[in-house]
Order: sequence, then C-alpha cells, then structure tokens
Amino acid sequence: MRIALYSVIFHVFSWLAHFVQSFRAENWLTTSFFWLQSLAWKSGIQLDVTGFAVIFYAVFWLVRIRGCFRRWRQPLLRGPEWFFSVHVRPGFYDGPGRRILHRYWMRMFIPFALDIPAAIAIFLTGRILLLNWLIMALCAVIHINHVFSVDLAERQARRFAVAETERPVTSVTLSLQPRRLRDYTNSRFEWAIAVPSLLALAWLVGYYFSAPAHHNLRLVFFLPLYCLYMQLGMLYVKRLILAWRTPAPQSQAAEFLEAREKARKFYLLQCDLCRAMVTVQLVLWPFLMNSSEAARDGIIRNWFSAILLFALISGVWVEIKRKQLVKLSLRARPARLPDFLGEREIARWPVCYQPSAPMLMLRGAYGYSLNLANSLAYIGAAYLAGFIALFTLVHSGL
Amino acid sequence: MLLTIDTRDPRPIYQQVADGIKELLARRELTEGAALPPVRQLAADLGVNLNTIATAYRELQKDGLIFIRHGSGSVVASRKIAERTQNELLRPLRTALTELILAGLSPSKIISMVTHELGAVGKGK
Repeated sequence: MRIALYSVIFHVFSWLAHFVQSFRAENWLTTSFFWLQSLAWKSGIQLDVTGFAVIFYAVFWLVRIRGCFRRWRQPLLRGPEWFFSVHVRPGFYDGPGRRILHRYWMRMFIPFALDIPAAIAIFLTGRILLLNWLIMALCAVIHINHVFSVDLAERQARRFAVAETERPVTSVTLSLQPRRLRDYTNSRFEWAIAVPSLLALAWLVGYYFSAPAHHNLRLVFFLPLYCLYMQLGMLYVKRLILAWRTPAPQSQAAEFLEAREKARKFYLLQCDLCRAMVTVQLVLWPFLMNSSEAARDGIIRNWFSAILLFALISGVWVEIKRKQLVKLSLRARPARLPDFLGEREIARWPVCYQPSAPMLMLRGAYGYSLNLANSLAYIGAAYLAGFIALFTLVHSGL
Repeated sequence: MLLTIDTRDPRPIYQQVADGIKELLARRELTEGAALPPVRQLAADLGVNLNTIATAYRELQKDGLIFIRHGSGSVVASRKIAERTQNELLRPLRTALTELILAGLSPSKIISMVTHELGAVGKGK
C-alpha cells in the first residue's frame, strides 16, 4: 500500500513538473516517465519508491536537452536582423553580438551547474527521494534563469540596436475586457471537478471513521489533502496568468492582443487539464483504498495506461499549439512601451516593495523585480509556506 | 473594446482613460450593465499608479456613467441624463464653439466640423 501511495504521489509530482515544464515544451518528460513506468509494470518489475525517483530524474535530464536546443535557437527566431525582440544593426552577429549570444548560450547551463553537485550530494548521502524536490526546484530555476538571461542579453544588445526602434511608442492600446477568474471559468467544468471531489472526500471520511483504530490517518487523507492543495495551487497559477499584463502598441494592437489572449487561454487550459488529472487521482483514491491487493495493481496499471495515452495525446497537442502561438507572436513586431511609473528607477533589485505599482513583476534597470507589495506575492508566499508545512506534518507523522 | 493612451496628449492619463471610456459609451461599444475591468487590471496593464485609474473611474461615477460596486467591480450605468440639466450639458459645447469662433472659423465651417466629429464619435473613428 505504501508503494501505491507513493506511486500516486509521484503522479501528482510529475503532473506538476509537466505543468511547469510545459510552459517551455518539455512535457515529453511526463510521457517518457509514464512509458517507463508502464514498461516496468508490464515486465513485472516491482520498482520501489527510490527506483521511481531515479527514473524520473534520469528522464528529466534527457528531456532538458530538448529545451536547451529550443532556447539555443530562440535569439534568432525573428531572423538575423533581430536578437530576441531587439532590432539590431547589420553586422551585429559578426561583432559584439557574437559575444552577447555566446554569453547567453553559456548562461543556459547555470541550472546544470547547480543540479550536478546537488544530485551528487543526494546520491552520496543516499537520500534519493530528495531528487523529487530537486526536480521541482530545477523547474523553477530553469525558467527563472532563462527569463533573467534573456533580459540581460536584450539589455546588452540594446546598445547595438537600430535607434528608431528603441524609442518607446507614443500610443498604447489596452483591452477593456475584464480578466477576472470568473470571466475565464467554465462552470460545468468546475462542477465536474467539485462534485466527484466532494463525494470522494465524503467516502474517505466515512471510511476512516467506520474504524478509526484500524485505518492510518496519514494514508487515508494525505493524498486527498495534497490533491486539494494542488487544486488551490492551480487556481493561484490561473490568477497569475490572468494578471499577465497586456498593453500593446496602437499600431499593431490587434496582432499583439490576439497573440497574448490566445497564449493566455492556452495556459489556462493547461491549468484546467492539470486540475482534471488531480481530480481523477483524488477520485481514484477511494477505489484503491477499498480494493484488494490484486485489484489495486490492476487499477494502477490501467491508470498508468490511461495517463500514458493522455500524456502522448496532450504532448502532441501542446507542441502543435505552441508552434501556432509562436507563429502568432512573431506576426507582432516587438515594440518598447512607455514606462509611466519609472520602473527602471524604482526596481533596482530582484525584489522590491512598491505599493504604488499594481504589477507583481516590475521590469527594472537590472532585470525583473518581484514586487512584494502585491497581494499575489503574499498569496504565493503563503501557498509555499503551506506546502512546506503540509509535507513537514506528514513527514513527522502528523 | 480598446482604449488608447497617447503620451503626446497633453491631458493627464486619468483624463484620457475617462474620456476613452466615455467615447466607447457614446459609440455604444460599452452598453448598460457591461463590466469594466478592475482598477488593478487596468493600472497594471498600463503600468500606472492605482490612483490614476481609480480617479478616472470616480470621474465616470460622478458623471453617472458607471457605478462602482465594492467587491464586484464597476459596471456601466443606464444612459440617463436625468441628473444633468440641458444647460449643464450645453456648457462644454458653448466653450468649444467660442474657441472655434475666436480661432476665426466661419459658422458654416464650424457646422461642417461638428457634423463630421459627431459622425466620427458615432462610428468610432
């Protein structure tokens, strides 16, 4: 039962990783992981919890290589006249641009430099389960490193940009369409998530209290609690996506707004897919609790197969959608927008406290800056603290 | 429903926001009961202080064009001019006409300009 518990927890982990990674097309991680898992089940290999962790980590490494290739090509996506969104002078790549580009490429490997010593330490100390946390941390580090690296490279390239393209546009267009969570919520989908979840929870409560002395509280309730916490996390991520700023230069407002809105809806749909998967896991839990050892294996095997199929289909779908979104965003020519708040002056560090600025992230003089005065920052910090508390409680035996 | 802010425009940003929303109302792109984006969303999108947008919304509320429901956002009010007398409404028109006459334009030219602008506001040009 312990292995079943951990294997399902791994699903949740892998789906979180899938979600984080899918922002940059590494969702093949999930596919490969489940493929390996299925292969192990079919071959009758009983992998223990550390075995899963090692496989997951190995697949994570392999899949990151693909991300590196994609990021490698990113500066030149718009053609040789551009470096990311900076319109550079002719000959840029023969002169200083070559150095800027090489430095950007080198910075791509920073996560590997952090990952390798950490992984060696984990293997040497034998605390293999920490690999899952390492993967989670790396998902964040890879993306943060990329965002800051692109920003730094663009700032360096701006010195060699075509002067007239560097002037901020004078007219900014905004959409007056409200972007509240309820404006992007499908009530049928929410009901489809809420009702089975509540029923599953009610069944588990009844199951536990029917013979509290014979049931392990942690075993019965940890996974459902974790799933609910993940649901909350996904709602928080949806709020972050909705808060994504959407100003556009007036000259190309339609292209900009269309590209941003399509990308926003795509990410929101991914969040909802993750929520659906978490709900299915929650609903499956009472079945696992109530079934015999033999039937339990069958349920998990079928679940793996279904997940594998779903991961394959969603992997292809995500790739197709991403290519469409890239094509759409390339239609809009990059433009500098006016800095009304003087963000470059007020945000000089990676974190800042600016109650006057309504944005979560400010684009300061030396890169992005997290505005700690924003309510989304408080919620995010509280969520992370709750996540750590939840795992600490479970780890210490409640 | 797009709102444009111009940095070369001498009007302050809050005034441009309020006037932009008024134009959308005049063109009936924003109809009665339509929800406006939350102050925070508009301020973040534009990258301005929250007070800038809040001031614009307050002005619209003062004119009876929107009503602000705390906790559930701002909504376009019904298009009644009950609280504003004809005299009040004519005042800005008189000011504008005076400026045009002082600028040396003939009455026929002014009428043609007014007709053109009226059409432009209606069509959203």
